[in-house]
Amino acid sequence: MAADAVDRKKIVGAALAAPTFLFLLVFFLIPTGLLFVYSFWLAKSFALIPALSLDNYTRALSSWGFYALTLSGLKNGFWTAAFSVVLSFPAAYYIVYRTRGNLLFYIILVSWFSSYLVRIYAWRVILGSNGLINTTLIQLGLISQPLEILLFSPFATILTLVHIMLPFTLLLLVSSLRDVKAEYIEAAKDLGASQFEVFRKVILPMSYKGLVGAFMFTFVLAAGDYVTPQFLGGRDGMTTGIMISNQFRSSGNWPFGAAMAFLLLATFLVVYFLFVQLLNLLKLAPGRRFHD
Amino acid sequence: MTTPPIVELYGVTKSFGAFTVLNDIDLKIADGEILTLLGPSGCGKTTLMRIVAGFEQSTHGRVLLRGVDVSNQPPERRPVNMVFQRYALFPHLDVFDNVAFGLRLKKKSKSEIKKTVTHMLELVQLGEYANRWITELSGGQAQRVALARALVNEPSVLLLDEPLAALDLKIRHHMLAELKRIHVETGTTFIYVTHDQDEATILSDRIVLMNKGAIEQIGTPEEMYARPQSLFCAKFLGETNILSGSVISAEGDTTYVDIGAGAAKVAMNGVPVGSQVSLAVRPEAIRLDKVREVAGKENFNFVDGVIQDVVFMGSRVVYNIRTPINLIKYQETRPVHGISLERGDEVRASWAADAAVLLTH
Ligand SMILES: Nc1ncnc2c1ncn2[C@@H]1O[C@H](COP(=O)(O)OP(=O)(O)OP(=O)(O)O)[C@@H](O)[C@H]1O
Ligand SMILES: [Mg+2]
Repeated sequence: MAADAVDRKKIVGAALAAPTFLFLLVFFLIPTGLLFVYSFWLAKSFALIPALSLDNYTRALSSWGFYALTLSGLKNGFWTAAFSVVLSFPAAYYIVYRTRGNLLFYIILVSWFSSYLVRIYAWRVILGSNGLINTTLIQLGLISQPLEILLFSPFATILTLVHIMLPFTLLLLVSSLRDVKAEYIEAAKDLGASQFEVFRKVILPMSYKGLVGAFMFTFVLAAGDYVTPQFLGGRDGMTTGIMISNQFRSSGNWPFGAAMAFLLLATFLVVYFLFVQLLNLLKLAPGRRFHD
Repeated sequence: MTTPPIVELYGVTKSFGAFTVLNDIDLKIADGEILTLLGPSGCGKTTLMRIVAGFEQSTHGRVLLRGVDVSNQPPERRPVNMVFQRYALFPHLDVFDNVAFGLRLKKKSKSEIKKTVTHMLELVQLGEYANRWITELSGGQAQRVALARALVNEPSVLLLDEPLAALDLKIRHHMLAELKRIHVETGTTFIYVTHDQDEATILSDRIVLMNKGAIEQIGTPEEMYARPQSLFCAKFLGETNILSGSVISAEGDTTYVDIGAGAAKVAMNGVPVGSQVSLAVRPEAIRLDKVREVAGKENFNFVDGVIQDVVFMGSRVVYNIRTPINLIKYQETRPVHGISLERGDEVRASWAADAAVLLTH
């Protein structure tokens, strides 16, 4: 009877997980697998030739352009993640510890409901030569010519990416701060910790995983984004993401695009690994003894 | 109290919006005593403790620690420490670092921290557990770590909010004994919150019984049990028989009360004739006889009835007696040679005039 119960539990568990698993299998794992196979094929004038060749990888890795574009994508990701985390942390703190309801949280999340492209165009309007910022600055007499740097620059890309990512980062931070229950904070204060010491010795280590997760998620999403830099980045705003999407959409060189996509994925994994190592090295990760 | 009080509360009142949770609390706590805040759920015990710790600001009134008004000091500056109900041990630190938390904030030297923490862990009998992570502790061990983490700071007052509520009965009794031992060894003043009257009577020097945000009665466990001043107190501490009636006459130090099954004599004066009152008689203060053996002997302080059931509780036997006015409980230590009374017997429950407490509210 007991064995029956265990069996039933297993079956029910499997049944609950099955839809998600199937979905991921069909729409993620299989396409990724195919893409991986493609990355070893060759392309000649829009035709794909099955092969087992490393040409696509060597082509990407031997071009300086690839490194430069990857670096510019990583830069976008890094700055977006850094600003998003720094900006949403105080808001998350406020939502978790200072408010009882979730009203503010929902208001911020609602900004996600507006379309991605609409927001990109909105920033074009705000940052453009005849946009809000330039006209205001000119009317105030602070500048005589519109600032071209505002639009079509890494600045514009990062600003817009932060705007797009912020609710997402906030969502992750709020859920990780919810684990740091108010009683831990009270316990620390009770033992004599100032506001800053509470933050450094309790909140930061206890929400560490969530913080690193929020940073990395935002980083990867922003670094891989190819729409925002295309619309707002200008000539210097080119990233690997854009190049990959070009291979699929205009050049028709799927194998080369696929190879670059996997190189980018590998880059993200390496960055993640290095980031975590760095935090360990700087002794910022929790789970450490402070005595001998 | 010869030594000056370590905690003084004057007119402490706390409202959340329109809802008054604490109403005009005055309280003085002596240095070194164990004082228990006892009362039903929601009566404001935790809130009062949090006001002493500084986590809540009172709406009116003042809090003094060692004679200094700390009403406006934040919790981190008050010389009190708290053991939280769910312990709130830091999961990212091991046992040693949890206990060392307060000392590190005070920038104590490494060697001093090592010495003090080790000593404290030995005091709570966890010397071997310094390197354990918090998730690897049992409930009782976590409880001891929480105690050590608070006591290591040598607080003027240690606040304990239902610290044993999460433990099962056996460990709870063991921990009570431990708390008493630690109290003797450290001499720290304890303010202990509980809604368990057993914990309160076992542990306390004095009990503060609270009801609906106000203090109902303060006294030693013995006083509270023997001389309750209100129906609430009589009912809250231990079991009691309540007989209600009205005062029919008073002569000198004796008051006569009509309890519906004859008259009762109580050693008390000053209650006007006609007042509605209650008599509280503890089960162990009752005497039980077979009606036919004592019929016609007494004129006061008895009620006849039939034994409804007999309950064995280890060393004690409790009899529930159905009478015309009330269900009466009688209790005795279990006789070695078995009991002579059984279910269905007609019995007379009687009590001495000085065993009943007359309550006017
Ligand atoms: N932050 C708050 N806002 C509003 N009401 C509160 C707040 N904190 C406590 N209360 C109310 O104050 C009253 C007293 O609460 P308190 O926690 O002090 O009770 P308690 O005596 O400790 O009860 P228990 O034995 O259940 O722990 C309760 O009615 C509670 O609902
Ligand atoms: Mg409470």
